[in-house]
Amino acid sequence: MSDRGWIGLLLVAVGLAAVPALVGIFDFNSFYLVFLSGILFWTAQSTSWNILSGYSGYFSFGQGAFYGVGVYSMAVFFGRHGVDWLAATVIGGLLSMLLALAIGTIAFRLRSLRGEIFALLTLAVPFILAAVVRLSDTIDGGQGIVVPVPEYPEFLGSFQTFFFVVSAVVGVLSLAVAFVMERTRYGWALFAIRDDEAVAEGLGVPTFKHKMISIAANGLIGGVSGAVLALNLGFVSVEGTFNLRVPLFVIVMSVLGGRNHWAGPMIGAVYIHTLQNRLADSGFDGWSLIVLGVILVLLVLLAPEGLMARFGRRPWAVGGVFAATLIGLGSWGGWGQPVDWLAVALGTAALVAFLPGRRGGEVAAGRRAHHAPEIFEELPSPVEVGRPLVIADEAAKDFGGVHALRGVSATISQGELVGLVGPNGSGKTTLVNLISGALPPTSGTLTLDGNDLVGMPQHRIAHLGIARTYQIPRPFHSLTVRDNVAIAIMFGRDPHGLEVARDAADEFLSLVGLDHLSDQLPGQVNLHERQLLEMARAMATRPIVLLLDEALAGLNPVEVDNAVAVVRRIHESGVAIVFVEHVLRVVNQLATRIVVLDQGEVLAEGEPDLVMSDPAVITAYLGKEGHARSQ
Amino acid sequence: MLEVSDADVYYGDAQALWDVSVRVEEAEVVSIVGSNGAGKSTLVAAIMGIIPTRRGRIVFDGNDITEMAGHRVCRCGVAIVPEGRRLFPGLTVADNLDLGAFNVAARPHRAESVERVFALFPRLAQRATQLAGSLSGGEQQMLAIGRALMARPRLLLMDEPSLGLAPVIVDEVFEVVEAVRDAGVSVLLVEQNVARALEISSRAYLLSEGRIVMEGKASEMAADPEIRRAVLGV
Amino acid sequence: MSQLQATIFGALSGSLFAVMALGLSVVWGFLKIINLAHFGMILIGAYLTFELASTTGIDPIITVVIGAIAMFLFGAIVQAGFERWRVSEFNSLLISYGLLIITVQVVSNVWTADFQRMDSSVNPYAAQSLALGPLRFPLPTLIAAGFAVILVVGAKLILERTYSGRALQAFGQDRDIAGAFGIDHTKLGILLAGAAGATAAIGGMLHSLGESLHPDAPFEWVGRVFAIVILGGIGNVTGTLYAGLLVGGISGLTAAVWSPSASPFVVFSMVVLALVFRPTGLFPSKTGH
Repeated sequence: MSDRGWIGLLLVAVGLAAVPALVGIFDFNSFYLVFLSGILFWTAQSTSWNILSGYSGYFSFGQGAFYGVGVYSMAVFFGRHGVDWLAATVIGGLLSMLLALAIGTIAFRLRSLRGEIFALLTLAVPFILAAVVRLSDTIDGGQGIVVPVPEYPEFLGSFQTFFFVVSAVVGVLSLAVAFVMERTRYGWALFAIRDDEAVAEGLGVPTFKHKMISIAANGLIGGVSGAVLALNLGFVSVEGTFNLRVPLFVIVMSVLGGRNHWAGPMIGAVYIHTLQNRLADSGFDGWSLIVLGVILVLLVLLAPEGLMARFGRRPWAVGGVFAATLIGLGSWGGWGQPVDWLAVALGTAALVAFLPGRRGGEVAAGRRAHHAPEIFEELPSPVEVGRPLVIADEAAKDFGGVHALRGVSATISQGELVGLVGPNGSGKTTLVNLISGALPPTSGTLTLDGNDLVGMPQHRIAHLGIARTYQIPRPFHSLTVRDNVAIAIMFGRDPHGLEVARDAADEFLSLVGLDHLSDQLPGQVNLHERQLLEMARAMATRPIVLLLDEALAGLNPVEVDNAVAVVRRIHESGVAIVFVEHVLRVVNQLATRIVVLDQGEVLAEGEPDLVMSDPAVITAYLGKEGHARSQ
Repeated sequence: MLEVSDADVYYGDAQALWDVSVRVEEAEVVSIVGSNGAGKSTLVAAIMGIIPTRRGRIVFDGNDITEMAGHRVCRCGVAIVPEGRRLFPGLTVADNLDLGAFNVAARPHRAESVERVFALFPRLAQRATQLAGSLSGGEQQMLAIGRALMARPRLLLMDEPSLGLAPVIVDEVFEVVEAVRDAGVSVLLVEQNVARALEISSRAYLLSEGRIVMEGKASEMAADPEIRRAVLGV
Repeated sequence: MSQLQATIFGALSGSLFAVMALGLSVVWGFLKIINLAHFGMILIGAYLTFELASTTGIDPIITVVIGAIAMFLFGAIVQAGFERWRVSEFNSLLISYGLLIITVQVVSNVWTADFQRMDSSVNPYAAQSLALGPLRFPLPTLIAAGFAVILVVGAKLILERTYSGRALQAFGQDRDIAGAFGIDHTKLGILLAGAAGATAAIGGMLHSLGESLHPDAPFEWVGRVFAIVILGGIGNVTGTLYAGLLVGGISGLTAAVWSPSASPFVVFSMVVLALVFRPTGLFPSKTGH
């Protein structure tokens, strides 16, 4: 993300500001003002949708609800009761935002919520709203409402110019909001939530707060944009407002343009609005929804990342084809009007963009097969064991009838490297989940430095100083290695802003030896490197206690040794570590103390040599006869 | 009868098995032992076709089943007793058994197979109409074995049958394994409980961190202190 | 209309939505696919009944045979596509949304956006009603309730009494292990999706007996149908029927006691409450999971 973005946004704003003047000078048909106003309306709607659904991954089918609240606010307050149109716009935005917050408060608090259920809930909201509006005489009553033309400043000339200016302001503001979010922590919190919400919460991201911010932005902008549009409609009705158009169009526009970029929905809006305009003009109005449906299906199957991503891979080819087609048709002049040329140019550019070809990051993939991770020397150094940090007292966890943990008491103190071992099903991962706050205990207490952890939201537990890694690494797939770590710095115990976090991320990457891969995507690095990334990311939250869950799974012996050295380095930096492990030779080497779990209880604990020769432990691992034989 | 040669198996993206070769002959019990995470269950899943094998071959009775889709492997005579039993919880004992014989080869003999299973496990006959999810751990294990036998296999893959069971029940389970072998069915037994496993096997393989590190006759391996070192790391 | 009449009529009307919900719920529960195109199949089923009955004069209920076969094929083909391209649960929602939009627009192009209704000469049921004790109900509603019971009982019998039905249950409970015992998920999935399509056609036929048709109708059905699916338990066959009666009854009662515009609110609140307290549905069942 360079400062090219600022230039892009500025260009859009300036270009739009110049349009009315251009229209006046060149005496263009006001058709272009209307056309551009349409694009600006859809830009605002799609961008606001994308702030919620694209950035955070909570797919909404309910854009029509926010749009409808805006439209009807204008119709009722300005159209029927004569309130000033600007005030009515503000009211529309606020009401829509309130609706968004209400939906969020309910939906985001549901523990059983999955993306699909959220999508279906939002599918229902517009239709409930439509029913209410239709049946309630104070609003519509089934008759529709007339919206007269508002009074506008004289110097603007025509209503169309006025409408264009207002639409442009709303459109540019929506782009600005998306743009700013992308460049600050707010947007990045949403990206992390989209990729893996549970992990984000565990790194300290307050997920509920950020989801509410994004849905509020969606509601506010959608409502304002809808209210403004109502000024141009003249007459609003329930059927005309609460139908499929808005929800479908914003989805297709954003999927087409690209959901990862602030300009994506705008590009999609340009495409779809132009297409739809041309279809309507040539009498194929009845086909536009069919075409859109087909486009959506094809996009999801074949190119879900959208145009902006593809454009970014071959910008010169796409830009060149677009310009060449436009100029070519323009200078020939033998067919169609400028809008037709635009449509064709857009089409050819899209074709070039979507052509299958070399995928981004190929260069990196070639490299990774041969480069072995940097091997650290082992540095022997005793670290003093200090005050108790995590204290679990009779912690128990039941799942249905299964007693995964039955009253485990354990203390993790400063400076320790505790190995948590035990046969399959002994409760090791459950204990880790209890300490990190991923699951609440059925009974018993868990404290960190005296703070009661039970019932505390996970992100606050992260802020207190507990971090964990996952057995199967769970990186944020759409973020680079560096940005994965940066998220942790942005929201961890010692939070910083985006740019600072990005710079500081490299420090943690060199701790684990990944600095040469900082610009790669997690999918492009191997399993060992992803496990090291897990550790770096967890460390970047600056924890006091680090929980490592089977960090060596699937590694070859060389990688195992490297990982062990990394864990040692982490330990020396002053972090207490609890690690769950099956590879017992490693546990014996690393641990200052071993805790053995069996069938949900602590079987033995103490120094590695003593514990591993304890007859009870041997029996648990090898079976009764095995103990007898090994005597 | 079963020949796994130089198999590399990946669990998702992570390599779980490197270059694994295992052999099972007629009417014998072969054990795969090793600590957790060593890859034992992955091997069973790969043989059964539940997860794909990226390199190497798996041949059963002369048929190459390396690439065979999961639902066709059982037709050839291999059945699985999965780790954690994985019965169909909402169906009765009788239904679970019935469905074990779903594959085309076993279906015609369904009635006869049910009788044989009930003879082997009288307690299951008593609970025939009970829901599988309501049985005790030991009974569930018996049912899982019975379900696999309904498929009329020549090779039974048993994944951690002693998991979570009281020692007395474990005894019963291992008695059943011996009975199965005596009836002419081979067993590939994956077990955490090394001692018991080696006791009833003729041969064994020690799997550690995804590789076979030791193999041989079970009696010899049981007496070897190397085993303790490999599993406990001490 | 007395409150009792309104409630019972509501419940009976709800059974029509239960028929609509049945196929959707089973496919979602067993195949992990949320198929919005199901509503498109209901719509086509309704218009096919209208068209066939109006042009050939055959009794509208009989025409459902053709509709059911056609939608069986539609459903099977769509499912085969989902399998072939390994579509995730979430993307199935998006793709089927696209298919639904296409279907609605095609119907609108072919039959126009005007309301269509079968002539009384073609559809004798619409005008008739039947008395049950002191209360009187329109015949189409009673026919729908009858079909609902038959379909649900039939589905339950198939699931519980036939070998293949139990195999289907096993497949829904543990797909991998069912596969290990020979239960082929691809074939089963396609068959199931086809059956769901057939029930969609039946739902469409029942709808056309009593109501006027217009292409945007699916969007009015979505809310109630999903409420029934969630309240009944995803994949729970009998639960779908009970939830249909419940949702219908409460809607009717709310409309009579409070106001018709309040019904959608009440139903929506029920769904939210169910998601909070009983996410697996109000009616626990053995056949579900």
